[in-house]
Amino acid sequence: MPRILPQVLRNLLRKPATVKYPQVRVEPPKGYRGRPVVDPERCISCWLCIRTCPARAITISKETKKPSIWLGRCIFCGECAEVCPARAITMTKEFEFTTLR
Amino acid sequence: MEVLSFILGSLVFPGLLFASLIGLLYIGIDRKVTGHMQNRIGPPIWQEFLDVGKLLSKEDITPGAAQSPIFTAAPLVALGAAVTVMLLIPVSSPQPTLTMVADLIVIIYLLNIPAICMMLGGYSSGSPFGATGAGRHVAQLFGYEFVFIIAILVAVVRVGSLGLPTIVNYQAQQGWLILDWRLLPAAIAALVAIQGKLLRVPFDIPEAESEIVHGSLTEYSGPKLAIWRLAYDVETIVVAGLFAALFLGGPTAYVIGGVQIPSIVDFLIKTLAIVLLTTTLRNIMARLRIDQALKFYWTSATLLAIISLVLVLVVP
Amino acid sequence: MTFIVPIGPQHPALKEPAFFRFEVKGEEIADVDIRFGYVHRGIEEALQRRDYKHDVYLIERICGICNVVHTTTYCQAIEQLAGVEPPERAKYIRVIILELERIHSHLLWLGIAAHQIGFNTLFMLAWRDRERVMDLREIISGNRVTSATNTIGGVRRDVKPEHVPTILRGLDELEHSTKYYIDLFNSDRTILARCTNVGILTKDDARKFCAVGPLARASGVDTDIRRDHPYAIYDKLSFNVITEREGDVWAKSMVRLREILEAIHIVRQAVKEMPIGPIRIKVNLEIPRNEAIERTEAPRGELFYYALSNGTDSPERVHVRTPTCANFASIKRMFLGGTVAEIPIVIWSIDPCFACNDRVALVDSHTGKTFNLSLKELRKWRH
Repeated sequence: MPRILPQVLRNLLRKPATVKYPQVRVEPPKGYRGRPVVDPERCISCWLCIRTCPARAITISKETKKPSIWLGRCIFCGECAEVCPARAITMTKEFEFTTLR
Repeated sequence: MEVLSFILGSLVFPGLLFASLIGLLYIGIDRKVTGHMQNRIGPPIWQEFLDVGKLLSKEDITPGAAQSPIFTAAPLVALGAAVTVMLLIPVSSPQPTLTMVADLIVIIYLLNIPAICMMLGGYSSGSPFGATGAGRHVAQLFGYEFVFIIAILVAVVRVGSLGLPTIVNYQAQQGWLILDWRLLPAAIAALVAIQGKLLRVPFDIPEAESEIVHGSLTEYSGPKLAIWRLAYDVETIVVAGLFAALFLGGPTAYVIGGVQIPSIVDFLIKTLAIVLLTTTLRNIMARLRIDQALKFYWTSATLLAIISLVLVLVVP
Repeated sequence: MTFIVPIGPQHPALKEPAFFRFEVKGEEIADVDIRFGYVHRGIEEALQRRDYKHDVYLIERICGICNVVHTTTYCQAIEQLAGVEPPERAKYIRVIILELERIHSHLLWLGIAAHQIGFNTLFMLAWRDRERVMDLREIISGNRVTSATNTIGGVRRDVKPEHVPTILRGLDELEHSTKYYIDLFNSDRTILARCTNVGILTKDDARKFCAVGPLARASGVDTDIRRDHPYAIYDKLSFNVITEREGDVWAKSMVRLREILEAIHIVRQAVKEMPIGPIRIKVNLEIPRNEAIERTEAPRGELFYYALSNGTDSPERVHVRTPTCANFASIKRMFLGGTVAEIPIVIWSIDPCFACNDRVALVDSHTGKTFNLSLKELRKWRH
């Protein structure tokens, strides 16, 4: 008799390990490196984040002199959040970047 | 009037419409149960309807090397053969829609047509995967078909008739054939042969997706692939129905607590049980190689069927 | 009569593009021709144009599955160049993440191997358990696969004490299910029928073709960089080097499965013995001319880095040799005499990672021929 049979039959009665994703969401743990957000109020325009970003994803807007993050290039390493002296950049738990039109 | 009822029989019940609906539903159940057996949610039960519907509405892309009438006709012929068998097996009463003198022989022949069509489609597709898949299918056909025929023969010898209605009526009086200890090995052999006939693990060698993409069906797309899926689903229900009629007593009506349960319900329950059994089998094994599968069919499975045949012939 | 069965560049048996051209007699394989280079990304050149710190993130993307071992090797090489030593605690954290990565990589391998032999239930169950490892890595590093934890001079993130019970609980569950899989591989008859006596690499061949990692160990070659040339804190931990004698696909899967148990054992030790202290030091990254080589044991085998500095803040040259590159030499020997049905499982049995492998391939686009360049010609080409 195949060895996996008891396991397979037990799985029929168990709760599935997967979830119905768009309806049921699993919260990422604390410290997850999701979408970085810039708080322009706290930003002191030191531009350290631009130098430290390995993907060169951070650009400066001409009018406000504050950084903005281009998510198309961002690799979510969290270096900018780490280096920011004013803690103006934080990593959120947001990980869904596609949108429905 | 007779012509009208024949057309109704072949197109609506128990023909194309009924067989497709039940076939798609049962494969959907099969996929859902497979999902739960693998500890995941799995698709909804009606997923197969959505898949086939979507395929039907898609663009048909036929590669240049496969531009032949055979490639186009193969899925239609396969579906037609599968639906024809549906008319020959008892569904709503012990009496099938079409009756013949020796209908089991016709059924055996007709059940091979989808497999042969698949090979033709594979060979005519001009793809090396199709050709390899078809070659493997031929080899596997010689494995399971012999076992399948011997297993059917056992039931025929036991009852003494080549007519499916006679076998069903005999079981209604004498009890199911699977309960007879002499026929039990044959029933197991038939189940193994069904697993090979329906190309399910461990015998899904002709369409092993990690080796030869989708075997014979690699180049099919759009509506043609949808018809192939439909043919496969109808074949599943047909083979399950045949097994139910041969060994599980076929469709019979019951009266439970004063409520009349029609025999069609019995048919559905029995076929579902067989489909679920094959689902379990396909989820607990790895795919065999073609030489291992043939060895298995020609030794263990054939031996089981022949033991049963000898027992039926010798032990009164 | 032989005919050609093309496997790739796009094929369900391959998870990444590569081209295998099989000459097949019936079901038997007569010859095989392998062509790579579809995922060449010019990473080594790109590394020279960035500074050391930015390179860490590019290195991390050489291979998705073994990203931590790549960055660890790179960081160790650069630390060697700069002549600094990372703090003890950082080394322990590196080992924890490295071994979690090994578990995750081997479970991924197990799942796909099961899929290649048509055992989809085992595939799903193995990947369910892989999710647990990825959850642990998510807790520690903040992401499921790409950890971004290593940096030159230590690690960026600490393993917090409140995470330790979760990690240990996760490891217990993993140990339980790994033992179940080992049991399954020992006893299930269909698995044995598909895996034994398939794709055999003898001990002599493994030595001759310089096989590394689980592939070599499955053939009986007792080699493991973690023990032979300890890095980080592997010299302070006790673990066994798993070897098997048979050299077939079964032995390769057995080596990997038993290595999961060893990795669990290592993580438990590392979590228990982790000292308290700083996790990173500041390194002056204007490194004078110096060169360094660094070897580590990636989940797939020996990973080799060569780094050359030139006084600026970006490297003069970083060379990477991935384990897959070393293992491809032996793949032809494993195929010959086999059947078409064995192709997927034998390709997968070396745990190939083509994106890791493809550094340079020069192909004449008109004739389709690959050719080699001498060092001189290559210099001329670059300028």
